[in-house]
Amino acid sequence: MAGDSWIAFLSERLPELWLRTGEHLMLTGVSTGMAILLGIPLGICAARTWWLRGPLTGGVGILQTIPSLAMLAILLALLQKIGAIPAIIALTLYALLPIVRNTLTGLEGVSPPVLEAARGIGMTPRQRLWLVEFPLSMPVIVAGIRTAAVVSVGIATLSAFIGAGGLGQFINRGLALSNTNLILLGAIPAAVLALIVDGSIAASQWGLRRRRSRGSRFRAAIDRCLRPVALLLPVALIIAGCFAYFSTSTASSNPAWGPPADDGQTVRIGTKNFTEQLILGELMAQLIEARTDLRVERRFNLGGTMICHGAFKSGGIDLYAEYTGTALTAILKQSVIVDPGRAHETVAREYRQRFAAEWLRAFGFNNTYAITVRKSDATFRNLQTISDLIAISGTLRAGFTAEFSERPDGYPGLRRAYGLQFREVRDLDPALMYQAIANREVEVISAFATDGRIAAFDLQPLRDDRGFFPPYQAAPVIRTEVLQAHPELREVVELLAGRLDDATMRRLNFEVDVKKRRPGDVAHEFLESRGLLEREK
Amino acid sequence: MISLKNVSKSFDGGRTFAVNDVSFDVREGETLVLLGSSGCGKTTLLKLTNRLLESTSGTIEVDGQDIALQDSITLRRRIGYVFQGIGLFPHMTVEENVAMVPRLLGWSAKKRRERAHELLETVGLDPKTYARRFPEELSGGQQQRVGVGRALAADPAYLLMDEPFGALDALTRDTLQQELLSLKERLNKTIVFVTHDIFEALALGDRIAVLHAGRLEQIGTREEILKKPATHFVRELFAKPAKQLAAFGGML
Ligand SMILES: Nc1ncnc2c1ncn2[C@@H]1O[C@H](COP(=O)(O)OP(=O)(O)O)[C@@H](O)[C@H]1O
Ligand SMILES: [Mg+2]
Repeated sequence: MAGDSWIAFLSERLPELWLRTGEHLMLTGVSTGMAILLGIPLGICAARTWWLRGPLTGGVGILQTIPSLAMLAILLALLQKIGAIPAIIALTLYALLPIVRNTLTGLEGVSPPVLEAARGIGMTPRQRLWLVEFPLSMPVIVAGIRTAAVVSVGIATLSAFIGAGGLGQFINRGLALSNTNLILLGAIPAAVLALIVDGSIAASQWGLRRRRSRGSRFRAAIDRCLRPVALLLPVALIIAGCFAYFSTSTASSNPAWGPPADDGQTVRIGTKNFTEQLILGELMAQLIEARTDLRVERRFNLGGTMICHGAFKSGGIDLYAEYTGTALTAILKQSVIVDPGRAHETVAREYRQRFAAEWLRAFGFNNTYAITVRKSDATFRNLQTISDLIAISGTLRAGFTAEFSERPDGYPGLRRAYGLQFREVRDLDPALMYQAIANREVEVISAFATDGRIAAFDLQPLRDDRGFFPPYQAAPVIRTEVLQAHPELREVVELLAGRLDDATMRRLNFEVDVKKRRPGDVAHEFLESRGLLEREK
Repeated sequence: MISLKNVSKSFDGGRTFAVNDVSFDVREGETLVLLGSSGCGKTTLLKLTNRLLESTSGTIEVDGQDIALQDSITLRRRIGYVFQGIGLFPHMTVEENVAMVPRLLGWSAKKRRERAHELLETVGLDPKTYARRFPEELSGGQQQRVGVGRALAADPAYLLMDEPFGALDALTRDTLQQELLSLKERLNKTIVFVTHDIFEALALGDRIAVLHAGRLEQIGTREEILKKPATHFVRELFAKPAKQLAAFGGML
């Protein structure tokens, strides 16, 4: 991108950058603070009680080895909540290890003669801790806090997966939209933030050191003034974060930290983390904003199906677009229903009973999985159906989304239905999958039928000649409670019903994926062109 | 008065004894030197006296009261202790180190400060120069003076000193010994002084207690010990320096 457009891009995103940076600092600050409050006492217990040492350090060590996304998913399942709280808990758990370990190391490193003297002159155990052991191990403990805080800044970028905001939100959106600029907008400030956090705690360490300043009287005076300031830098940083957050949050539509929108006048719309979902989310959001008095809170980019469904079930979001095939097989764990109408009826019935939720009328398109190859390969090797792959599958490399690799209606079922056996199967991010096949790193991918990139990358979907894939009719799902409170929502959202056929959806996806336009703009343009935004009174 | 009656201490459940059936009194106002080679149980005896260690058997009385029945924290604050490894608090200034026991006793900041400066004068350190320094900015001899100052801070009646000058060079040691003698005159403390150095014992001790392998060999004034050694060990102990003096005396 040329310099000018970078500047334009930045200045346009600046308010949100502030907000996300503020959120990021608050996530890191709160979790590191909790880890300090928890970790130091735990470290003291470990140092005092020999039989607690192994279990405690081992326990926090194991926490550290849980992959971050898995940790977030587990917490989401346990707490039945999305947003800042599970993110903070996860970050706190990660930050515990360096703090507990360094507290233990610090306390054990206090020299024995000094400890003996402390005992011998008549200090109580508590006085020994506060007057001698603690101050002497402080440098080591603060070093642990420093490690914890810097690691937190990094891991906090993942909390955007569960709607906790922060700079990861840009990265997530960038990944979902294959938009490098957005990824950089999250990644670069996150790296800078890590450096700043590290620096501020380093300064604080310097401020903690009690040494007579050497050198001139002038130098000593400067030291005396600067030390307390340096000591408080990390606190100042957190306050700055709160300030950045609160000064911009009113301007933004979806603050992750804001008061929960349960005023009864707000509809919370969620999406999964890919382009089509973002467009559908925007379409529904803008319709509701234009045609009702309700407010909309956008909780977009919520990881995969399970995270989105978890948020929906627990009331974290009220409305999102789901696919009948996905709901049937991945959520309800039922077998495939080939007839689209019957599939919709079945999921609607099950959702009403099990999740107190309603399926509204479908948008119209069927975003089924499409086993896809390069057009050149299709022509050259005469490939038209999935069956045509059977003979050569042993020589092909496949790149699938992680979800497809695991879902029963994905690769496991497909392999059985067709007897396919690829030479290699790689799990790829949806955004990277298209890049990988274009770059000839894989030969087969699990594309989405409505994906704009199929045309853009010159790819050829293969026909599902054995009818393995169920229909993936997209439709809005809404919590019954919300629908009852605002019955007008049905009519408004169903304005979209049947209006988005495969070709239309593919075109909208193309606008975002390939032309790099914003989902909000593309959605707006579509709604306007169909005259759906005028509010009839 | 401190009196030990049949005091024993074993660290291994009674197989060996670091202190073995030791009894003696430390009289009011005297300096008693515990003399013995390394590992004979001197430090252990001092630690038993302020309950840094608990005796395996026997009783120790301070001012006629069994210390086992007293609160160990209060006891320690009443007894000044100069540690073998000095053990100054490295994160505190000289002044804060010296004023530590008064702080534990809840004195006001102003009183602590005055006391610290007074004590630094007493142990021969100029408060103006040294009060704000940290221990690492002092020589070994100066650190030892601060250690003595810290032990004296709350004006305890008893002072336990564990080889305080052991790690110092001969000249510094001599100076400090002289100062301790004059300090003793002025302050009227009851002192238990541990050393492995025979000359130091002879120079400082009103009485000397000779320890060997956890047992008390003899206790008495220097004249009594030199003239009438009670055991073979004591005779040998004092004969050796005399022989050395005879060998090198002419050259010195
Ligand atoms: N905490 C302890 N645990 C086990 N043995 C000890 C301990 N402290 C001292 N000892 C043993 O007790 C004996 C006397 O030690 P100590 O009183 O320190 O000797 P001294 O001060 O005369 O050099 C030594 O044999 C030493 O190994
Ligand atoms: Mg010793």
